[in-house]
Amino acid sequence: MIKDSGDVIVKTLARLLAPFIVAYALYVVMHGHHSPGGGFQGGVILAASFVLLAITHGVGMMRRKLSERVAEVLSSVGVLIYAGIGFLCIFLGGSYLDYGRLYRVFGGSEAEARSLGILGVEIGVALAVMAVMCTIFLAIYKVGEEDPRDGGRK
Amino acid sequence: MEVTLLLEATENAFRIMEDARRHAMGLLDTAVQFTAEETHYADRKKYEAIFSGAQRKKARFQNFIGTLMILFAFWILLSGRFDLFHLTLGAICCALVALLFHDLLFANVRVGDMRVVAARFIGYIPWLIRQIVTANLHVAALALRPKMPISPQVICYRTKLETDISCVTLANSITLTPGTITMDIQDGVYYVHALSRRVADDLNAGEMEDRVAHIFMEADHLYVQDVLDAARIYKALRM
Repeated sequence: MIKDSGDVIVKTLARLLAPFIVAYALYVVMHGHHSPGGGFQGGVILAASFVLLAITHGVGMMRRKLSERVAEVLSSVGVLIYAGIGFLCIFLGGSYLDYGRLYRVFGGSEAEARSLGILGVEIGVALAVMAVMCTIFLAIYKVGEEDPRDGGRK
Repeated sequence: MEVTLLLEATENAFRIMEDARRHAMGLLDTAVQFTAEETHYADRKKYEAIFSGAQRKKARFQNFIGTLMILFAFWILLSGRFDLFHLTLGAICCALVALLFHDLLFANVRVGDMRVVAARFIGYIPWLIRQIVTANLHVAALALRPKMPISPQVICYRTKLETDISCVTLANSITLTPGTITMDIQDGVYYVHALSRRVADDLNAGEMEDRVAHIFMEADHLYVQDVLDAARIYKALRM
């Protein structure tokens, strides 16, 4: 079982860094369409910040910020955003994920619509990746929690 | 006849002065009483606010705003795009993060004014850099001498620092200074590996600890710098 880490240095630095890691992850997601990065990378960094909090402050801290239930819902919401934008393009007369058609919804030129569409898709990917990563981490943790022989660290 | 009149007048004057003194004392007493009641009332109100959670709510809001501002500055530093769209995105993202993590950045802040702490911290950095440079030269001299007169040792000492952030600042300052490495902090005891006698003695002298305590206003200790300031003020007053 992962307990509150007793080390003052690790705990404090994790506490100070976590907000910046999350902000950086969101920056990677939001600027993915014109600089390196994107939904997957940003989502992984997001999940990493939660895992960092979990292994320094105990899993209770992570659950307070993002419970299993919320993680499951968010993973579905992420996929929904991705697929929703894709199907919206079909309904607007293009093919799947043909962002150019979105100008009818967002307004503006076709290029702007493409940019916004990619941004939307990336937000969806980031949400799904983050939520699934956290779910996997919590699931592995839960197995250890239920089986005290496992590793003997209960 | 005239003498008695004079005496009577003097007595009268004394009586009037005595009356005035009594009046003034009474006034002062009431003033002190009023002030005491006022402070007492203010204190009670403060404690009531703490108990009713209003204080906590206020502190939470301040933390939120502080986190938001710091993160937004960080975002602008990263982003480098200043059009309205990206700034709005940044504000929304930072607000989300601040909402989620408002309790992390300013947890365990003990007292008072963050601006003073920040100013003192910035003032601490040049001193630290000077320490790092001198320690670098010392370690280089040790390494270059053919005999290599090192005497590795582990020092344990109990710290007087109280908050986690000051402990971490001291630990990282020690690690940044060449020749010394903080290995562990357990229950307020530092375990530091020192390369030679001199760096160990420097550490045991405790100047770095005093300075870190000064930054974070760990108030119930006496610092060299504060004593020097007080001495200067005292001298100016005596002149």
